[in-house]
Amino acid sequence: MIRFLSRRVLHAFVILLLISVLSFVFFQFAPGSYTDAMRLDARVSAETESAWRTMYGLDQSVLTKYFRWMRSVLRGDFGFSFAYGIPVSSLLWPRIRNTLLLTSVALLVSWSAALGIGALTVVRRSRAVESVIRSSMALLLSIPDLLIALLLLLFALRTGLFPVGGMASLGTAHTVIAHTKDVALHLVLPALALALLSLPLLVRHVQAAVRESMCAPFVQAARAHGIPAGRLWLAYILPAAANPLISLFGYSVGGLLSSSLLVEVIMGWPGLGPLLLESIFSRDVHVVIGTTVLSALFLIAGNLVADLLLYAVDPRIRWEQ
Amino acid sequence: MQIRRKCSAAQLLLLVCASSLSAEDLLVTSLPPGRYGGDLVVAERSEPKVLNPVIAVDSLSREVIGLMMADLVHINRESQRTEPALARSVDISEGGRRFIVHLRRGLRFSDGHPFDADDVLFSFQVYLDENIHSPQRDLLIIGGKPVSLTKQDQYTVAFAFAQPYGPGERLFDGFPILPRHLLIGPYKEGKLNKSWGLNMTAGEFAGLGPFRYKEYVPGQRLVVERNPYYWKQDSARQRLPYLNRIIFEYVGNEDAQVLRFQSGDADIISRISAANFETLSKQANGVRRLIDAGPSLEYTFLFFNLNDLSNKSLPQIESKQGWFRDLSFRRAVSMLIDRQSIDRLVYAGRAAPISTHVTPGNKLWASSRVTPVSRSLETARSLLASAGFSWNAGGKLIDGAGRPVGFSIVTNTGNNERLQMATMIQQDLEQAGITVRVVSLEFRSLLDRLMTTFNYEACVLGLASGDVDPGSEMSVWPSDGSTHLWDLSKSGLKSGWQMEIDHLMASQMRSTDRAERKRMYDRVQELIAGNLPIIPLVSPDVLAGAKAKLKNFSPAVLLPYVLWNIEELYWSEQ
Repeated sequence: MIRFLSRRVLHAFVILLLISVLSFVFFQFAPGSYTDAMRLDARVSAETESAWRTMYGLDQSVLTKYFRWMRSVLRGDFGFSFAYGIPVSSLLWPRIRNTLLLTSVALLVSWSAALGIGALTVVRRSRAVESVIRSSMALLLSIPDLLIALLLLLFALRTGLFPVGGMASLGTAHTVIAHTKDVALHLVLPALALALLSLPLLVRHVQAAVRESMCAPFVQAARAHGIPAGRLWLAYILPAAANPLISLFGYSVGGLLSSSLLVEVIMGWPGLGPLLLESIFSRDVHVVIGTTVLSALFLIAGNLVADLLLYAVDPRIRWEQ
Repeated sequence: MQIRRKCSAAQLLLLVCASSLSAEDLLVTSLPPGRYGGDLVVAERSEPKVLNPVIAVDSLSREVIGLMMADLVHINRESQRTEPALARSVDISEGGRRFIVHLRRGLRFSDGHPFDADDVLFSFQVYLDENIHSPQRDLLIIGGKPVSLTKQDQYTVAFAFAQPYGPGERLFDGFPILPRHLLIGPYKEGKLNKSWGLNMTAGEFAGLGPFRYKEYVPGQRLVVERNPYYWKQDSARQRLPYLNRIIFEYVGNEDAQVLRFQSGDADIISRISAANFETLSKQANGVRRLIDAGPSLEYTFLFFNLNDLSNKSLPQIESKQGWFRDLSFRRAVSMLIDRQSIDRLVYAGRAAPISTHVTPGNKLWASSRVTPVSRSLETARSLLASAGFSWNAGGKLIDGAGRPVGFSIVTNTGNNERLQMATMIQQDLEQAGITVRVVSLEFRSLLDRLMTTFNYEACVLGLASGDVDPGSEMSVWPSDGSTHLWDLSKSGLKSGWQMEIDHLMASQMRSTDRAERKRMYDRVQELIAGNLPIIPLVSPDVLAGAKAKLKNFSPAVLLPYVLWNIEELYWSEQ
């Protein structure tokens, strides 16, 4: 187990290093720099703009910039934000919490719904139920992500049942309970948007996995032996179906994270998304690299959790190790 | 007994002197009294980045800083003229070379610390420091030399300039006075650039503005609260401001901004598109008030690449520069553009067609001698024909060498109005046989092409003057200006009219005679309208809205459009 884990952690470290190098190199190819917009400021001379470039090390080689950034990563700063004038870490940490809260809830909702819907269609074997679910999933899949988020916002505006974006209302944080309720209310629509975005794919995989394991010879044999339905599901069908679903879980973490960036921007959720978008447009390079590396870290962590679950669930993997 | 009486009299005199010295020299406005209380929520598309006025470059940071800090002399955004602020008065002498600034006595920063001449000296020392690279520093280099300051007494500071300074005391607007007692330490340690970031605590900040920093919630909001030491009063001697708190909510984009305003979560909205303004106006219902403040100081324009490209390996663009440099060609293009339609279709009638860079929003400096351009296909065609162009059998315009005339217009994505304008220009020019392609680029990529690689043919862009004074255009119109976008290569191939503009712009900066400056700037406007280094299009209106219960809400065309009189805003009922 420890050998398995350490090997995975080592892989993760190498991948992160590669991502940071590639991000730095790719960002070099992006035209323009942070100080370009200063030249449209009537107060600023070309000399001052040039002095800012030197001050931020923008005129140095990629290699020098990368090693300077790595040094700051080791200090825990993740570089210095040109726009905010503070270490990137102090921008990232408060926003990571919000992004993780949103994606965790969305993950829980989407997987619960997918397992329920997937299992229902397979168990019921009703043509009507199946066609309703299939049509709904096809519709969800065909609607652009942006539109789903906007429709939910419109729903909030028209009904007044949910807040129109943001994470907390003003003046409601008098008690912990009131604050929690308020955040939960703000969380509903962004989490729902994210869950709806990933649902069609998950439902499809759950259906396939459950259907496959239901047709497996050992499940047929168990059913022929008259094992009760509840036990059949818990002891035979679900464990057998879990294997591909656990692998999918790792990927769904990454998928949700990338979708969350868009949903956060549209619905005003104060996570990493709005910060990343603004930093890309303003060429605030260290914030972009820091956010990219952190997002990759989450993806890797999701996959690591999936690997560990597989290790725990599937004896073949333990044997291979 | 007599000695005792003498002592008492002396004590009384001292007491009177001391009390008069410590008395606050407050500015009493003619404002009718309002009522205290309430918060104001402002939904913003981006969050402020820093609260340090010495290094702030983005407009929202400067807007928030403007609420918390004050300058010596302030430009009233409505009248566009200067008015006293921290300086009770300014005496100008030696032909405009020397300004004696008399400060208000007894004022305090928002943390209660007294304000005096040392704070002014410290502030300008910081702004002028070459190691800090403050964006404002260049404004303090006059006649090639930095402004020098001398403290005359605790409340008097003398500013000396190397040459007379035309814009005069307008210079002081935009230089917030820093609290020496808080920033001298970081300054001496070389850490001033890193002070007053968004990770600071309320105790680290102090200013002389109507509000003071309270808290920042990352990615969500920034809150400022009423400064109890603010130095302005209304006509009933009530100390301003009236509002308790201003809350800047970060919502990410214009649509979210509109939704928040519609739902009542935000009290004020500004910088909205004409389309959103129309939608909101229809739903106002007496609860919300939408105001069109008229043409802004922003001028949108089309310009051609007139840079020297001999070292750039861009033969395709270079081959078209013959047309771009031909004044008849530029005039013809200008005559072909239907500005009225741009106003009507792109801005829903909420813009003003312009023929020079000084917009109708500039009350003090717009020239009446510049005539508006009206579209005329016939005149454009005859101009093109007289310049050696002709039309082939297919109706396409060809130059003297028989090459079809066409070019691309670049503009920035994310600005729908500019994209629509470029498309309308494309259709207008098509009628004269000119083929135009419209290319939209991400803003920094566009700037890279405009300012570094010069890899473009024509561009639709907008610039907004920071002030109405011609001084604010010094980086644009002189040929060595850093925003002289159409020819940044400084090729040295200056035309006669460009040399005249260079001379006039430099002269008006040295002249302290307002009438003479106006004459010179009128001539600059005529030269620009006549020679078209840029082809001015329209000036969009300043569009804003607020809840109807918010009183004294009066958007202006100078930045900040809506919060410029924040100390005067109040709620008519709680």
